[in-house]
Amino acid sequence: MTGAPVPIVESVSVAPPEHASPDVDVDTDAERQLDQPWVTIVWNDPVNLMSYVSWVFQNYFGYSQAKAEKLMMSVHRDGKAAVSHGPRERMETDTEAMHGYGLWATFEKDV
Amino acid sequence: MATAFKRKGSRVVAKMAAEEREVVSELLTQTRQLVAPNDGATGDPVEDMMASIGRTADPDELASRDPALARLLPDGHREDAEVASEFRSLTEHGLRQRKAANLSTAIAALDATRGEKLELDLGQAQALLISLTDARLALGERLGLRSDDDSEQLQHDIVEAGDAVSDDPRLLTGLYYDFLTWMQESLAHALL
Repeated sequence: MTGAPVPIVESVSVAPPEHASPDVDVDTDAERQLDQPWVTIVWNDPVNLMSYVSWVFQNYFGYSQAKAEKLMMSVHRDGKAAVSHGPRERMETDTEAMHGYGLWATFEKDV
Repeated sequence: MATAFKRKGSRVVAKMAAEEREVVSELLTQTRQLVAPNDGATGDPVEDMMASIGRTADPDELASRDPALARLLPDGHREDAEVASEFRSLTEHGLRQRKAANLSTAIAALDATRGEKLELDLGQAQALLISLTDARLALGERLGLRSDDDSEQLQHDIVEAGDAVSDDPRLLTGLYYDFLTWMQESLAHALL
């Protein structure tokens, strides 16, 4: 057996991400919420391999190798990356799919 | 002694000793036992799906859940417990079924192999790749791998133990984890 490759480093932050308050008028809030895009976030973890994470982004989202690796490096370096944007229902589907691949994903409103 | 996976057209091949293959198959089987839905499924997919719709997770069961299982079935929302709970009630049953089915595909491919040559079609290779993730997540949780430092400490302890490595259950688990990591890395590169 050869030595293990270096896994994606650093512990996952358990603190909620910082959010700015949405800067919207009360009377247009509901209308804006309908248009408001949501995001799927993938979080760093110490187990998943960089090569695997890159493969998942290419295989599931159909991203190019360059885009998949850029997103993977964001997860690796910054602790998380927004990997897809769109309506809430689609972000829930993407989050569920990421869980199927064993990645640590959440969905949230993009602010 | 295992060799790395290589892509050959629409197939992926590696060499692996029977005992190595059996260890991997056993670890995937344990992972399947952990993750498969244990809710008195009838075996009828439509009936099971109807029964699972809108089923709210039992908070006590969630709180007392094996951390390895919890790692395989994370929350879908970080800040809003209600949204996370709703998401879980809609997705968890199906997710567990899909993970179990995926693990079954990988286990069947390993167990059907005779001799040292492991040859997989792309569907089997993908099922194995994802299955290795689930098994490593479960083992990683058992090993308390929460950060890169934890992983480095484990590698340090394995090297330090030398021949005595198999006397320590944690380090032995660490060796299995390392083997799955090596295998997954090689398979991911063969599929990329």
